[in-house]
Order: sequence, then C-alpha cells, then structure tokens
Amino acid sequence: MDPLTLPDVTQLAVPIFIAAILGEFLWIAIKGRGGRYETRDAVTSLIMGAGSVASGILLGFIAWGFFMLLWRLTPLDLGTSIWVIGLCFILDDLRYYWVHRFGHRIRWVWASHVNHHSSQHYNLTTALRQTWTGTFTFMMIVRAPLVLLGFHPALVLFVGGLNLVYQFWIHTEAIKKMPRWFEAVMNTPSHHRAHHGRNPRYLDCNYAGVFIIWDKMFGTFVPEQDDDPVDYGLVFNIATFNPLRVAFHEWVAIYKDVTQPGLTLKQRLAYAFAPPGYSHDGSRDSSETIKAKHLARNPKDAGSPGL
Amino acid sequence: MPLELLLILVIGGIAAIAVLLHLTGRSNKRVLSAASARAAWQRQFPESRVSQLIVADNGHAALIRDAEASAPLGLVWSFGADTVARTLQDIDLARTNDGLRLSFADYSAPRVLLHLTPTETNSWQQMIADHSAINSPLAEA
Repeated sequence: MDPLTLPDVTQLAVPIFIAAILGEFLWIAIKGRGGRYETRDAVTSLIMGAGSVASGILLGFIAWGFFMLLWRLTPLDLGTSIWVIGLCFILDDLRYYWVHRFGHRIRWVWASHVNHHSSQHYNLTTALRQTWTGTFTFMMIVRAPLVLLGFHPALVLFVGGLNLVYQFWIHTEAIKKMPRWFEAVMNTPSHHRAHHGRNPRYLDCNYAGVFIIWDKMFGTFVPEQDDDPVDYGLVFNIATFNPLRVAFHEWVAIYKDVTQPGLTLKQRLAYAFAPPGYSHDGSRDSSETIKAKHLARNPKDAGSPGL
Repeated sequence: MPLELLLILVIGGIAAIAVLLHLTGRSNKRVLSAASARAAWQRQFPESRVSQLIVADNGHAALIRDAEASAPLGLVWSFGADTVARTLQDIDLARTNDGLRLSFADYSAPRVLLHLTPTETNSWQQMIADHSAINSPLAEA
C-alpha cells in the first residue's frame, strides 16, 4: 500500500468559495460596478460546480488507477520535499496550459470544457461552472510524464487542486489590474477575462492556469484591451440554463455531426477531433475564419493584439 | 471533509445565493428596444443586414428579417439578463394561451416561449409560417 495521502484542496475550499461569492456580490451591489449577477445563470454555474465535484468522486478512480499503474512502473521517486512540491506545481501548471489549449483546439476536449465558457457573465460563480465529463477526454494522459518522472500521483493531484483553487479568484470583473510585476508573471483577472471573451481578438488566447508566462512563451498571450471590452460567452451562445444541456450539448452536437449520412471516415473523425468550427462543407466558422471575417469588416484592427 | 458536511455546504450555499440574488432583483429579464435588439442580433450574426425588426410589446423578443430575401427569419430573445439569437430554421411552431412556442432542433436551445399580445401572436405566426413556406423546398418544387 502507498501511504502518501494529501488533502483534496478543492473540497476544503468550498466554504471560502461561498463566502467569496457573497463578498463579490455585496461589493457589486454596494459599489454599483465590478460585474453582474443573474439568478439562473449563477445557480446553473453553482450546480455545474457541485456536479463536477460529484463526477470527480464517482469517476476519479479511473484517473487514479491509471496514475498508480504508472507509479508502479516508474523506478523514480522524488519524494515530497518542499522543493519537489514547488517543482511539481510549476510543471503541473505547464501541463495545465497544454490541456487547456487542447481543450480549445480539439473538439473532443472542447466538448467537456465548453460548459465553463457557456455563461455570458463573468463572476466568481463562473469559476465553478466546471465540466462533468473531463474523464472522457482522456486528458489524464498529459499528467503521465509527471508521474513517470517520480512525482507521486497524490502529489500531482494535490498541486492540480491548488492550481484550480488559484484560478477561482481570477474570475471577476471587480479587480481591474494587479501590480505590473504580478500581471507580467501571473495569471490575473485581466488576462483571464480576455480568455473568456467571444470577441474575435480574444479567441484562443491566454490558456494559463497560474503563470501567464506559458502564453508568452508559446505565443498565445493577448492582453485585455481597453478599447475592446470583453464580451463573455460562446461564439454561438447557448439558450438554456438546464445543467444537463449545459454539460452535454457539445457531446450531442458531435454525435449528430459524426453520424450524419454521406461523410467519409476522415470527415467523421474531423468532426470529433478537429478544432471547433470544423465542417466538411465549410459552412461553419472556426476561430481563424471568425478573425479573418472580422478583419475584412474592420481592416483598421489588423496587426492589433490577437488579430 | 465529511461528505455530509460537504453536501450541507453545497446545497445550503446554492440555496442562499439563489434567494439573495432573486430578492435583490437579479431574476429580471432583459427588456429590448429596437436598437438593443438589433445590436443583440448582430452580436450573434455580425454579417447579417437587417431589413426589418419587430420588437414584441413586452420587449422580451424581436423578430428579424434579413435584407437577403432567401435568408431565414431570425429571432433574438431575452435570456435572463442577456440575449440569445437563432435563425428560424427547422422549427416547430405552436400557439399557447399567451403567445407562441418555438421548438428548435438544437439541444443547446430547445425551445422558447414568446409571451405576445393576441394581435402579435397572429401576425408573428403568420410571418413565420409565410416565410417558412417561401423558403421550404416544397414551395420551390
């Protein structure tokens, strides 16, 4: 038996989440600025968050079993010193960047992640609008190198939880900008607001979890622009507050696309795994075509961040 | 954390936040003007050229006709404090006691209930039916 056990920080943070949501709401209500709340939108987000925790409890054994299998295979064990925990946190954040990027560029993974972007609001409840179907994306594979390098699976999941808890507070309009040094290194409300934008310039940018440096390294960083306020939501917004439809709508859309008659095998696979917006007949828009059409309508924006 | 405590926190927290938001007026639906309805439509369909826009009396929906004659009609409607828009293709249209119910072949937008005056109900139903007939393959055949 492996004795290492570490707390599930996302569960422990639930009381803080609730208190912070109430605090943000009161701030907005008193100040009259800093964001918007809507009852059904917020309740849907909170139910999605609760469902995500439940999904983790019910399906978490699959990822855990996979990681423990790798742990038995690897001859490496880096232990749990503070330096190892710090290194694991940084490498796991790099892992998060790529999983998140795949989540926007591979429709199969997007089907899981889309619900996080499905609110037209941006407040602390939006942070909790999390997937129920993450296990089925098989993105656990991206964590495999960490375990094979000698980071214990419990440690890998622990730092992943810390990463998610960090990301909670950046889902707010109440904080405009952090100090310059902080904005340069860390993911912040401003950077993440841009990530949630459906404006053409903000599509597929700022995938960072904790450190924004990954986006700067890999060319996906777009700073929030004062002259282009973020329009939150999806390119094609959903019209339902039903959590089941929020959780599964893109999976249903994939199924309909893949099973339509008259397609080649390659086209069927592309509907499942190509970037969102793929269509075999060119009838839909991808991020690239949306940006191109925007530039055709607004040539003055050419060369500005994200375009 | 014990599961019982987690459940109490989650259910209690969601209920408390829902009640607080509702009591402070955060459940009100957005009311559209002609200008805001047009902006909401073009937010979703930026290339559309609107030739006619009819806002419902209650301001919760607007019917859109595109300048392109072959384009389907469009509908933009209040979705909580926000808006959503769809073209009226592959829809089922039915009258209700106080308006129309449109059902879409879209899992992410299953249906919308339009609360309309009796006069609006008649005219919107007629417009949608006429336009659907004009654009249906059977009409062209």
